[in-house]
Amino acid sequence: MLGSIGAWLRANLFRNRTDAVVTVVVGSILLYALYRFLRFLFVTGRWEIVRVNLPLYLTGAWPSDELWRITTVIVAAALVGGLAAGVAARRAAEAPDRVDTGPRSPGRVALDLLDRLWPAVATVLLLLILARTAAPWLLVVAAVVVAIAANQVGRRLPLRVGWLVNLAIPVGVVAALWLLNGGVGWNEWGGLLLNLALAAIAITLCFPFGVLLALGRRSTFPILRLLSTVYIELFRGVPLIALLLLANQALGFFIPQSIAPGRTVRAIVVLTLFTAAYVAEIVRGGLQSVPPGQIEAGKANGLTALAITRRIVLPQAIRNVIPALVGQFISLFKDTTLAGAAMGFLDLLRAAEASTQQDAFRGDGLIAEALVFVLLVFWAGSYTMSRESQRLEKRLGVGVR
Amino acid sequence: MSRLLRLLSLLLVLALGAAACASADDDADDTAPEVEETDDADSEEEPDESDGDADADADEETVELTQGDGSLLDAVIAADEVRCGTRDALPGFAVLQPDGTHEGFDNDFCRAVAAAVLGDAEKVNFIDLETADRFTALQSGEIDVLIRNTTWTASRDGGEGATFLTTNFYDGQGMMVETGAFESLDDMDGAVVCVASGTTTEGNVATEFARRGLSVEVLSFEDTNLIQEAFLAGRCDGWSSDVSQLSALRTAYPDGESALTILAEVFSKEPLAPAVRDGDTAWAQAVNWAVLATIQAEELGITSANVDDFLGSDNPIVQRFLGVEVDGAVLDPGLGLPTDFNYQVISQVGNYGEIFERHITPLGLERGPNAQWLDGGLLYAPPYR
Amino acid sequence: MTTTTPTPEQPTSGSERSTAPAAVPFWRNVRVLAWTFQLVVLGLVIVVLAILFNNVRINSQNQGIPTGFDFLDQPTSFTIPANDLRDTQPVRDAIVEGTLNTLRVSVVGIILATVVGVLIGIGRLSGNWLVRNLARVYVEALRNIPLLGLVVFAYLAIVLTLPRVDDSIQAGNLLIINTRGASIPWPDGTNLLLVGLLALAAIAGWSVRRWRLGVSERTGEPSRVVAWVTPVVLLVLFWGAVLAGVGITSPMIDGPRVTGGMTLQPEYFALLMALVTYTASHIAEIVRGSIQAVPRGQGEAAKAMALTGVQQMRHVVLPQAFRIAIPPIANQYLNLMKNSSLGFVISYFELTKVVSTTIGNRSPAIPAYLVLILIYLVLSLIISLIMNTANRRLELPSR
Repeated sequence: MLGSIGAWLRANLFRNRTDAVVTVVVGSILLYALYRFLRFLFVTGRWEIVRVNLPLYLTGAWPSDELWRITTVIVAAALVGGLAAGVAARRAAEAPDRVDTGPRSPGRVALDLLDRLWPAVATVLLLLILARTAAPWLLVVAAVVVAIAANQVGRRLPLRVGWLVNLAIPVGVVAALWLLNGGVGWNEWGGLLLNLALAAIAITLCFPFGVLLALGRRSTFPILRLLSTVYIELFRGVPLIALLLLANQALGFFIPQSIAPGRTVRAIVVLTLFTAAYVAEIVRGGLQSVPPGQIEAGKANGLTALAITRRIVLPQAIRNVIPALVGQFISLFKDTTLAGAAMGFLDLLRAAEASTQQDAFRGDGLIAEALVFVLLVFWAGSYTMSRESQRLEKRLGVGVR
Repeated sequence: MSRLLRLLSLLLVLALGAAACASADDDADDTAPEVEETDDADSEEEPDESDGDADADADEETVELTQGDGSLLDAVIAADEVRCGTRDALPGFAVLQPDGTHEGFDNDFCRAVAAAVLGDAEKVNFIDLETADRFTALQSGEIDVLIRNTTWTASRDGGEGATFLTTNFYDGQGMMVETGAFESLDDMDGAVVCVASGTTTEGNVATEFARRGLSVEVLSFEDTNLIQEAFLAGRCDGWSSDVSQLSALRTAYPDGESALTILAEVFSKEPLAPAVRDGDTAWAQAVNWAVLATIQAEELGITSANVDDFLGSDNPIVQRFLGVEVDGAVLDPGLGLPTDFNYQVISQVGNYGEIFERHITPLGLERGPNAQWLDGGLLYAPPYR
Repeated sequence: MTTTTPTPEQPTSGSERSTAPAAVPFWRNVRVLAWTFQLVVLGLVIVVLAILFNNVRINSQNQGIPTGFDFLDQPTSFTIPANDLRDTQPVRDAIVEGTLNTLRVSVVGIILATVVGVLIGIGRLSGNWLVRNLARVYVEALRNIPLLGLVVFAYLAIVLTLPRVDDSIQAGNLLIINTRGASIPWPDGTNLLLVGLLALAAIAGWSVRRWRLGVSERTGEPSRVVAWVTPVVLLVLFWGAVLAGVGITSPMIDGPRVTGGMTLQPEYFALLMALVTYTASHIAEIVRGSIQAVPRGQGEAAKAMALTGVQQMRHVVLPQAFRIAIPPIANQYLNLMKNSSLGFVISYFELTKVVSTTIGNRSPAIPAYLVLILIYLVLSLIISLIMNTANRRLELPSR
């Protein structure tokens, strides 16, 4: 045992003299940083501000008697997510080229999931501990139970109804927005809820637009190509925050004032227009990666150009760029904080900053605690998504040469 | 692959659907108010005051569009909500609480307007605005009234398309420094001063230092929290803002109030007043008299606690003011407000003195110029008759 | 939405250069249809833009707000920290200073982010377990947090650690560190003069390099470029400075401020640090991917030629990796330049902060934003051009 540890150390940390010096120097810096960080976390940090303001951070000024709407949406999301995962698992199981690895025990599956999603799981646990009341625990337990049950149901569903589940996702998003909007108008949403909603709506809307732009930029029609190129380069050349400030301070001039939309709509419009340019470039990369032979084969089969684009080129192109699209979604999620700064939303970041001015905490210099919490939440969300996208990349075999 | 395609087409349909819905909404606005009625009927499970904002907006637009150049007053009554521009972290004036409500001096005046116009002080939709966007929000109709610690100046009255109403707080810009660091502004040559960006504060500091022949470096932040941190860290030697603000910040200073000094020089007049959009007299008058109600009530000695006793008063001034029926007649000054609006304001929000004591006195600030004229202050309400 | 374009199906289907039979009537003619379709789209775009800008005109008129660019000549009525700009100078001067500040943070940021990013990217593939994993943690932590949060955090961290002016960290007159920033001695000439001197030195250095390379080509001697160029550049700089009468000023503490020398503001430093650490995490991933994409045989061949580890990297692997990495790294450079706009949150007066401040001081919003967008587009274009040139020159001729 000791010998194997020694061997490991020699092989990984002390291969030669330089290596040993590097290890010692880097290691001591690391230890000191770790010490400072842990001290902040457990000794000097004062986390009441996060605990007291947790509802504000997560949902902004959401009234407590309307919380059932959020609860319903979370449980419904668990239901749909579980179903979709079940159906997908079953599809994979019945795919003809599948290598049969035999049934896996539930424990294995749970461990697997934990390994995949640990940043998100850990953060949710942290939130639950901070919340200190029973209701959130119940909600999480209910959501997990519903998800597992739905997963089992999904695995038993006949494949024919699988498309219904696919349909349920966009319909569910719309229904969720409608349900939430009924309680509090979306111009008053705040906290993490607002960051998530902005990102989800903008990515959904920008995707079709981005695909059209990408097709336009590669089209044989010169005017379309020019328009798409100008659009893409214009939006990629300007910082998002400048566009948001512009929309905030000047959008009222571009449209008749009677129909000027609220701040949330403005933010969504800007985020959508901005992200569409980036999605277009990603999809264009995907289009270029489709071998010309595919198009020629389509032509040889007598397909029209539209059919070739729709049935042959786009599916392959988009499959190739799914990980990049996930990456774009992650940066969109992070960029929603800019909407808060530029438009004065109480999104997660600004809610945290504003909370330091409350009577109980004013002048205590607790902004570090609030910021660390915010960064942690964003990190957990983004990191989980980026890990999943890497997994997807491997599964799809993208980039394998 | 086919699944992807299906998903893709679904997304497309969804986007088209969303676009279609949006345009359908616009159509509804143009055609008739009946459509809105049915909308409301559809969402009957909600209590009245928690109507979605979209509905409120739609209502307001309907009124505006159908009545041409009708007053915002009608629009606000139709929407059953006052959209009040405010902010989220200004101690004493407007602070967002952990439960999402707004508490502060400015917020109470928003409530007074709602009480006067709609009879319910809680029918306010507080919209947090950055300093730089507040006039744009007013111009674009995003808010009905701006009560956000805003100084009344000539160029704002003229150039920003805003009409300022009765001043509800007389303030002045001062300079706060660490006790002992500087005795007067003239000692501060070469100092770094922190201010909030996009306000007159910024220009005032530059002008004042230039006038005294001193050099100064002005850092400006959107976010008060960052100013506070920068000042605490000694990044700035001075923090310039309205004296009321500085007092508020001083009370919360970790090292105690005495660690900071507000210099004696006050280098600007800052009358803080509510503002509405230019060219809407009816709405401007309504907001103005809602503010004046609080001042008048203090002069008459009416508070939220004793207002009901005053209903039986036989003083004709009080009777007129509270809209009490005398011999079958009630004074209706024709402001487009309910005749009992003063009563509603006082009973639900309180008089000026109460509001001041609730939010400003805890900051350690005296009434000073904000006392009634009878006490040597500047508050003076025109007669209500 | 799609009601106005009657025949989208037909032209698209014929877009592939298929030769139409001669007898086809014009409304079936693929080329006619294709152009009609395009013109309709173009027309729609023009109409929409026209409506929007007409609205701007009408709305501005109603509110008495000017639409022209006269505001550029109005006085700013604000000052820029660590800058000589007076509040009576016109807005155009402030915008120029803002652009220079954007460039200051972007150029330095790009250089530092590249260095740090490459080091961490190599660290990701190190044989040392600790280094490898530390690099990984760095990349995964930094890439997944919002930059805005990082900027605010960096600012607070830096400002809160710096000592106050009266207990500055001081190394004689060479270095003073306090909340005013870090101050070092600096030549006291005008910027134009300094730039001219640097240009002169660069030209001299470049000529010497060319000459040495030529000599080496002809005679086969080693070129020893560095050994020749360094003294020449230093000599030119020194004598140039002496002849032009450029002196050196040292920083000194004078009451609440530091005078003389050059001061690096905390705002600048915080923004720079946030941009560098964030962008470096992205560059590191690009570098790692590119190194892994270099065929393994290259490294092994270099090893077989008895090159040391550092030599393998420097002469064999990295040059090939960079060829792959340049386009994505160029994107990161563009992002860094655009992200410098976040300086506006921490009172670093770069372009966006300056423009938004002038709007706060009564410049009209729309023309001001048009100027802002135009400047950013030009800056983006310049970076793209430089990187494209680099890419072309590094590309293998055989491809």
